[in-house]
Amino acid sequence: MEERHSMDEGNSIEENFKKVARRQYLHFFRFWFIAIGILALACVIMKIAQKDVPRANHEAPAERVYDYADVLTDSEEEDLREYIARMEKRHHIDIVLVTISQSVEGRAAMEQYGLRSTDWEQNMQDLADDFWDENKYGYNKGFEGDGVLLLHNWYEGQNGEHLSTSGSVEREFSLHDIDQVLYAVDDYYATDPYRAYRAYVKEVCERMDGSLSLPFSWGFVILVPILVTLVYAISGASQKKAENTVAVNAYVADGRPEIQGSEDALLRKNVVTRRIETSSAGGRSGGGHSGGGGHHTSSGGASHGGGSHRH
Amino acid sequence: MYFRCKNCGANVIYSPEKHGMYCPYCDSEGSDERAEGQTGELTICPTCGGEVEVGEHTAATQCPYCSSFLIFNERVEGKYAPGMMIPFQMGKEKCKQSLREKFRKCRFAPTDFLSEARLNGMQGIYVPYWFYDYKTACRFQGEGTKIRVWRSGDKEYTETSVYAIQRDMDIDFEKIPVDASIQMPDDVMELIAPFQYGQIVDFKPEFMSGFYAEKYNMDWDEVENRARALMQEDAGKLLKQSYAGYNTVRTLREDISVRDSRIAYGLLPVWKYIYRYKEQDYPFYVNGQTGKIVGTAPFSGTKFLAYAGTLWACLTMVLALLQILLGLI
Repeated sequence: MEERHSMDEGNSIEENFKKVARRQYLHFFRFWFIAIGILALACVIMKIAQKDVPRANHEAPAERVYDYADVLTDSEEEDLREYIARMEKRHHIDIVLVTISQSVEGRAAMEQYGLRSTDWEQNMQDLADDFWDENKYGYNKGFEGDGVLLLHNWYEGQNGEHLSTSGSVEREFSLHDIDQVLYAVDDYYATDPYRAYRAYVKEVCERMDGSLSLPFSWGFVILVPILVTLVYAISGASQKKAENTVAVNAYVADGRPEIQGSEDALLRKNVVTRRIETSSAGGRSGGGHSGGGGHHTSSGGASHGGGSHRH
Repeated sequence: MYFRCKNCGANVIYSPEKHGMYCPYCDSEGSDERAEGQTGELTICPTCGGEVEVGEHTAATQCPYCSSFLIFNERVEGKYAPGMMIPFQMGKEKCKQSLREKFRKCRFAPTDFLSEARLNGMQGIYVPYWFYDYKTACRFQGEGTKIRVWRSGDKEYTETSVYAIQRDMDIDFEKIPVDASIQMPDDVMELIAPFQYGQIVDFKPEFMSGFYAEKYNMDWDEVENRARALMQEDAGKLLKQSYAGYNTVRTLREDISVRDSRIAYGLLPVWKYIYRYKEQDYPFYVNGQTGKIVGTAPFSGTKFLAYAGTLWACLTMVLALLQILLGLI
């Protein structure tokens, strides 16, 4: 009977410790749980509150892919149109692609096509800006509306692209951003034009996304918790063991020995000489350069940003 | 024997915090009087008459029925009479606090490891020790080299000087402690040192009231090899310190000889806490004078998985939700 009572008491103590353990666990993670709750709620509220921004400009044509150079197959063009439509809806910008194959450089081209300059870059810029303005592109409005246009000239000896930005894209994109978009096209245009133009759309959209100030990637979301947990686990599992702290003279009377005799007699000495080898070294320094460009106004009077890459 | 309160008749114990005898029942201080067992029998509690289980080497214990602390005369007198002791300087509460502080960062120790209920089982024990005094004569002969390097112009000079070293010193070792208990693990008793000998006092049974104690159960000659090994090691180190400054030293002769030795018997205070987890004992020993702790905290795999897993999940969720939220703004 007494033994049973003692066992009951033991079980009750164990139960009590389990309750304490649960309480400690909840107490330790209380702020985390609250933070998760608040963030989840905020996400739901934001999702509900988020309104679809309808397209305000109805003057522009529905077409987004003008493959005058005929470098894409019909199915590739169709895929691109679908992809662009999806991304336009998400990012609220117009994304246009124009490919041409015509000379835009020199006096003959200037006279033949009524260009205002003999310069390749100036003419590419004018053609891209004018195409945008004349078709009244822009997600929100037909003049200086939000969007971007890539003009790719496939004419032999004058191959290159110009990116024309307008509205919100012009405001968000630095010269570096424009260069990066053009580099994305440069990477694939020679081998796979379809892939190059998908890269153009993707790069533009990612950069518009970045401008919404997302501070970390999904890789970061996966990696950081693993690292933090590892540090937490190691620091919590390690413990300092007791060390021998008895000093060498701990048991010596007065803490030090009584010296009776001490002698250090020089037996011999020798000196070795060595010549020091010296060597000189020089350095070189390199430098870099930075390009520049700027905002401009098109012949139609609209403000554009942009940049070109010629191959 | 045991110590009785003159005022209320309860058992009086020695309080490390108050540095004196104290009655926990009527709060009287210095009200103790020595009382002998009524029957003279070792196993009968003189206070309640209950039968007390006494180990072969137990010199003081606690009655499991009335909690009185009993001291067994014949195990602290005659050949078992300690010549000296250091009374407990650290009470149970302070010891609990030290343990909690020391293992505060062991996040994955079981929840009840430092609980009040478990720590209350901690016992203050006077451990029997032999203390060895050695008067030694230490001699050293060797050859040492000193190397000096300098530059002049485009030349580097290396001067090597060889010296004959001779040292002659007397080292008096006092009270090298070696525990005289079979039960106490030797390595732990070495780690728990040093004790501050400034607080050594003559043996008084009053200091034992409130604690457990053992009489020595290993003779001085059985454990002296440990004292001699320590003496040899320390003497060697002191000799080495005396010829520090040489780049290399070659020993020709080293001689440490004992000219005189003395042995004394005494008691030193140690707190002992045994925590049992998953059929395994985790012993912790605390120096009852300095508070030095020896022991390794147990590791709960369940707690580790629960905490590390939850932290990982929480962090991932917070970052993921932040990512989603920022995308929605």
